[in-house]
Parts: sequence; structure tokens; C-alpha cells
Amino acid sequence: MGREVSESCVDSLVIEMVSAYCNRFYASKPELAAPRIEAIGYQVGHQLSERYTIERPRFSDHLEAIKFICKDFWSELFKKQIDNLKTNHRGTFVLQDNRFRWLTRVSIDPSPANTDLSQEPSLATDESKTAQATSMHLYFPCGIIRGALSNLGIPCAVSADISNLPACSFVVRIKA
Amino acid sequence: MIACVAVVGHQNNPLYLQSFTEADDALKLHHIVHCSLDVIDERVNNPKKSGTTLNEAFLGLLYPTENYKIYGYLTNTKVKFILVTTDLDVKDADVRNFFRKFHLAYVDAVSNPFHVPGKKITSRTFAERVSNIVNTFWLNTAV
Repeated sequence: MGREVSESCVDSLVIEMVSAYCNRFYASKPELAAPRIEAIGYQVGHQLSERYTIERPRFSDHLEAIKFICKDFWSELFKKQIDNLKTNHRGTFVLQDNRFRWLTRVSIDPSPANTDLSQEPSLATDESKTAQATSMHLYFPCGIIRGALSNLGIPCAVSADISNLPACSFVVRIKA
Repeated sequence: MIACVAVVGHQNNPLYLQSFTEADDALKLHHIVHCSLDVIDERVNNPKKSGTTLNEAFLGLLYPTENYKIYGYLTNTKVKFILVTTDLDVKDADVRNFFRKFHLAYVDAVSNPFHVPGKKITSRTFAERVSNIVNTFWLNTAV
């Protein structure tokens, strides 16, 4: 019942899963890969939240559940807590992780100091391609958060924001 | 002597029901479990300051009938465990212990990737573990 695998195996598995879904399973229809990966994350989050809420008293409100995700749930998954939690007290929460483990291996394109005018269009598409490739890796953790919160009785929508790697923000919008 | 254990999902859908006595009617046990769901909802929505604390998982004795005692347990994910027992003097600590082991077995069953959340639990391993837990419970209280 207590078999363990190394963390690097899990990291590699996640990277390979994204690559397999984008490049092999849905190569002709890339827009279908993202919801499929998010659905896998949803089921994983659903099951993990069952396991990590054993022996815990019930949460009295949404904020308690989000704090559980930020502290205990995140430290079980990534051995660290969410670094910053912001809310607008109207159902939107921003969870910021300053060094998200699954993105630490993603290369960050250094922005060139002098841009040649003739190269600008290709640079723009390069940046958007890397941004798009990186964002594919975020559907899985978004699904995990959504699955965990749904199991705690909080239907929500989760999106991710990677404006400054390797920090990553997850925006949780609770459906009223 | 445990008559039956049941797992009910958060939409009050039955996920697992196992009875351990041949004598009693399965329908009667279903009915008892169903009535206890109402008691659980009542307990959770109107917390009484005396007795159970507000957010504890173990709900204690739900209601006694003439032959049975019914205990309840509510997890954080709104899944309810119900224990129907015919013993007339069951210690609280024993029931808490039972529910703790039962919760662990439930989590393992639900972590099965082939289990569909919301559908009945069909795992044989889960059924075996529940039988073991029930048997050790019976041995502990018989002493």
C-alpha cells in the first residue's frame, strides 16, 4: 500500500503527458488536448483531496478551503506552500507560487536588448509560441486545483497566468 | 454485532452498502440508512452547542431504534459513512476507531483510477478490507 516513486519520475511523467497529448494523440486537433489534460487533472485533484482531508475538521467557509489548498494540499504535492494569496472578497482568489515546480525546467526566453526591425514579426511569433507551449503545461495543475475544490463542494473555474516565469499565478473564480 | 455499513455520496446517492447479518431484511437496513441521512443533514445544518463540536467528522450516535444503534461520520468531501449495530453497549472510542480505519479504506478505494466518482464502489479489495475491519471490531467489543 505504501509504494513510492522518485519526484523526478513524476516531473518527467507530467512533461511527457503534455507532450504526448499535444504532439501525438491530438496532433491534428491541438485545441482538444488542453481540455483532455485538464480533465485528467480534475480527476487527480478530486482523488487527492479525498486523501489529504482525512483527519481534518470540516471547513466552515470557502476561505478555509482555499487556505487548505494553499498550505496543506500544496505542500503535500510540491513540498512548499503557495507564496501569496490574494482575494477580492467577491469569489476570486489569486494563488501565486514564486517557483512552480513543474515550470522550473521550462526555458525562459531572454528578451533581446536591441531588436532589429526586420526581425520583429518573427520574434513576436517566437514568443507567442513559447508562451503557448508553456501554457499547455499549466492545464494539469489548473485541473488539479479545480478537482480538489469541487470535491470540497466549491465549483469554480481555474486559469493560470505566467507573465513572469518561474513564478506562476492561478486565478480561481468561484461560481456563485 | 455490526448489522451493516453504508457509504453515501454528497448528493445522497448510495455508494456502498454491505450487510453482515443474514437474518435481517436488506430492505429494512436500506430504509434505516436512508432515514439516518435526514438526521445527518439536521445535525450538520443546525449545530448544537452541546455535544459534538461544529466541524468534527465523527457525528456520534445519530438515533437509536428499538433494535439498532446508528452512528454517523461525515467527511470533508461531504461523503457520509453510516454504521448500524445491534450491540447495546458500544464504546464511543471503538466506533471512532472503526470509522478511522473505514475512512482509510474508502480513500484507497476512491483513489483507484478506474473508479468513477459518483458511481458505486465495486472494488473487491475494499469489500475485503471492510470485512476485516468489521471482524476486528466485533472481536474488540466481545472481550
